[in-house]
Amino acid sequence: MTNDIEKIAGAAQRGLWANSAPSRRGLLIGAGGLGAAAVLASCGGGSAPSSSASTSATGTPKRGGNFRLGVTGGGSKDMFDGQNVGTTPDGARLLSAFETLLTFDDDFRLASDGLAESVEADNPTQYTIRLRRGVEFQDGKSMTADDVIYSLRRVATDVSLRGNSAAASMDIAGIKKMDAHTVRLPLKEPDSTLKEKLAAYYFSIVPEGYKKFSGDPSTQIGTGPYRLKSFTPGRESVSERNPNYWREGQPYFDSVTISNFSDTTAQVNALIGGQIDAMTDVPAAQITAVKARGKNTLVSETGWWIGLSMAVDMAPFDDSRVREAFRLMVDRQAMLEQAVSGYGALGNDLYGRYDVGYFSDLPQRKQDLDKARSLLKAAGHESLSVDLYTTNATGGMVEMATVLAKQAKDAGVTVNVRNLPSDTYYGDDYTKRAFCMDYWAARPYLQQVQQGSLASSPYNVTHWPPTSGKGAAFQSLYEKALATTDDDQRIEIEHQMQQLEYDLGGWIIPFFPSNIDGYAANVQGLTPAKTTFGLADFGHGFRTIWFA
Amino acid sequence: MARSVRRRRRGGIAAFILRRLLLGGVVLVLVSVVVFVATQALGDPARAILGRDATPERLAALRAQLGLNSSVFTQYVDWVGGLLRGSLGNSLAAQQPVSELLGSRLVNSLVLVSCAAVVSIPLSIAVGSWAALRRDRLFDSMSMTLMLVLAAVPEFVVALLLVIALATTVLHVFPAISPVPPGQRPWDHPTVLVLPTAALVMGVAPYVARIMRASMIEVLESDFVEMARLKGLPERLVLLRHALPNALGPVFQVIAISLAYLAGGVVVVEYVFNYPGIGSALQDAVVNHDVPVVQALAMLIAAVYVVLNLLADVATILVTPRLRTRL
Repeated sequence: MTNDIEKIAGAAQRGLWANSAPSRRGLLIGAGGLGAAAVLASCGGGSAPSSSASTSATGTPKRGGNFRLGVTGGGSKDMFDGQNVGTTPDGARLLSAFETLLTFDDDFRLASDGLAESVEADNPTQYTIRLRRGVEFQDGKSMTADDVIYSLRRVATDVSLRGNSAAASMDIAGIKKMDAHTVRLPLKEPDSTLKEKLAAYYFSIVPEGYKKFSGDPSTQIGTGPYRLKSFTPGRESVSERNPNYWREGQPYFDSVTISNFSDTTAQVNALIGGQIDAMTDVPAAQITAVKARGKNTLVSETGWWIGLSMAVDMAPFDDSRVREAFRLMVDRQAMLEQAVSGYGALGNDLYGRYDVGYFSDLPQRKQDLDKARSLLKAAGHESLSVDLYTTNATGGMVEMATVLAKQAKDAGVTVNVRNLPSDTYYGDDYTKRAFCMDYWAARPYLQQVQQGSLASSPYNVTHWPPTSGKGAAFQSLYEKALATTDDDQRIEIEHQMQQLEYDLGGWIIPFFPSNIDGYAANVQGLTPAKTTFGLADFGHGFRTIWFA
Repeated sequence: MARSVRRRRRGGIAAFILRRLLLGGVVLVLVSVVVFVATQALGDPARAILGRDATPERLAALRAQLGLNSSVFTQYVDWVGGLLRGSLGNSLAAQQPVSELLGSRLVNSLVLVSCAAVVSIPLSIAVGSWAALRRDRLFDSMSMTLMLVLAAVPEFVVALLLVIALATTVLHVFPAISPVPPGQRPWDHPTVLVLPTAALVMGVAPYVARIMRASMIEVLESDFVEMARLKGLPERLVLLRHALPNALGPVFQVIAISLAYLAGGVVVVEYVFNYPGIGSALQDAVVNHDVPVVQALAMLIAAVYVVLNLLADVATILVTPRLRTRL
């Protein structure tokens, strides 16, 4: 769901472009905006070599110091809520104070090292959560089943929370406390993605009676490594070490200061000038400068993506040959290099890159202009001209559209790029365009399907699946996958679903951009990670990093 | 007869100020209408705040919560009513009173602008005057070329060059950014003010200095200066007593415009230095279509223009004997 953060802030950034003329002032703000978008982008989802959270250590962790993080993408709408975020700095602040039942490790695989010892399916519609014992909230209160029930109920009943729609499959009224450390969670319908949901930050555990920040930091009590001391939305927050923290030895800093930046240039200057210890998202063009000044960069391959969407029920893309032709027009490597300076990995029109069910055996699509031309000819579109709608919601988005237009020309297709202000783009016509762009955070395959690839999905721009033909089986395959708790069987079904999208779907996903973060040389414990947020989930809530 | 009418209409500097204040009030009312109409064109704040998350239910809930469902006229009346009661309303994005949101930022910006004014005005008057006295000689041509260059370079370029030269790359003398932690004041961290002040000074000084030079040259060539010199007054006295006050008249107008410009132009410099003033608040508010905050800031900047213009006129009158005696 981090994509939503990106979306919000991206929209914000876009709005700025829309409202400022390209004066010298506009230019500057625009440049900052780009940076902001890039940061947002970077919270998409990390990736990278395998190394688990605590083994990344170089040397022995040392206590002490005030860690200062600079983040762009925030503003006066920043919030502090144990189960919700609106901006990138919100994500950093949440992770410092709140934790989830299950976790994703640095390879974006489910792990049981969160607040629950285990979450097991008793059957496809009933799960049992066994809590870790001896975990205390920052005020010394023990975490119990009551807190878990309150937390799940809060997400399910408050529509303003990000996890609200994900809680739809839970039978919240039927949730039951078995004993102080065991909760039985019944489902309304089978949902094999439940454990992945419980590992997402928007299902963090808050104490019974918890309410979001409204002026008093002492009300913000989580189980996390740092306790909030002060918070001024749009400006800065300061948190102090939780002396009660349940993970042995962690965390290492005495305090963590998270500062908002409105401009990436200022952020880079602050890092180079030594006023912050780390920053999210370094613009690709600045990497050399940052390194030359003795700072480090953390480049993480990620699973977040920007896609070109062809609506499968709108002309000319209602003909699957046209969709195929467009996919063959794209020179993915060239696009990766031109749109995001080469920082990323090639895509194959499929999302859910780090899901165990990701169908990596499908052949990598390559540019084939002859085949594209003949497909278009067969479909009766020899001199096709289409409008491609885009918006500057995240770094690389407009650039991709421009590159595509250039590449399409080689196949004899005219693509007119229509770059709209974000609030217009994400306005009433958002899901009603034949050819447009969108972007998403890394998330498990089936969760992404639920968000964007079903008739019932809130953000379905491709209008997939089709109502007739081979692709129409997609919906029933999805339901079958949700009801399948056996991993191998479910993966087999997911492969069938991906094969359908690969052959007939509406997405062109040319590449997965990387996260590029920067940090000072004395910061230890950071390694590339496929985590949801940038900077390896902000050093796993600032608990696995320390000062040398 | 005509004389007595004029006397009744005027009545000294106090009456002049009072008249101008009333006029300023009228201007602000007109500005309030323009600002309100203009901010309506920003678009739907609820959509801007929710962005891509704007599902119909969430949009409806937020609109109701923010009071966006009443008519535009009602909203205007509510807003002006609030203004008259001294309330600027609530920020839509932060959902806290605008006065609370802007209070410390306003102080921060005011401190920065004041520093810039205190440095730039005497400096540019001195440079301009000296250049006029040394007309067409080395100091004159060098200083005026430099001023021309500075005037031509955008503030943010100047600001970034300062950062490169003094904070990150060449020297490490001053902080690269200028944070002021919430709850603290800029003067608790005086070093953070140096680079932003320098950038603003370089942005404003060229205009004032060049006007000062032109004005001074004109005065130096005037009959009364020649007269004073012919009377045998010491050159020092000629300059300070006769030339300078008369040359300052038009310069005050330029200073007023420059300061008013600073009140708005500080945005760019605050942006470069991540300085928590009204600049970043304004940018944030525009992004979020946060109408009450934009309105408050626009009104504030308009009021600053009105007041500075008034001050400039008063100052011009006070230093210009011809105008002073006419009141």
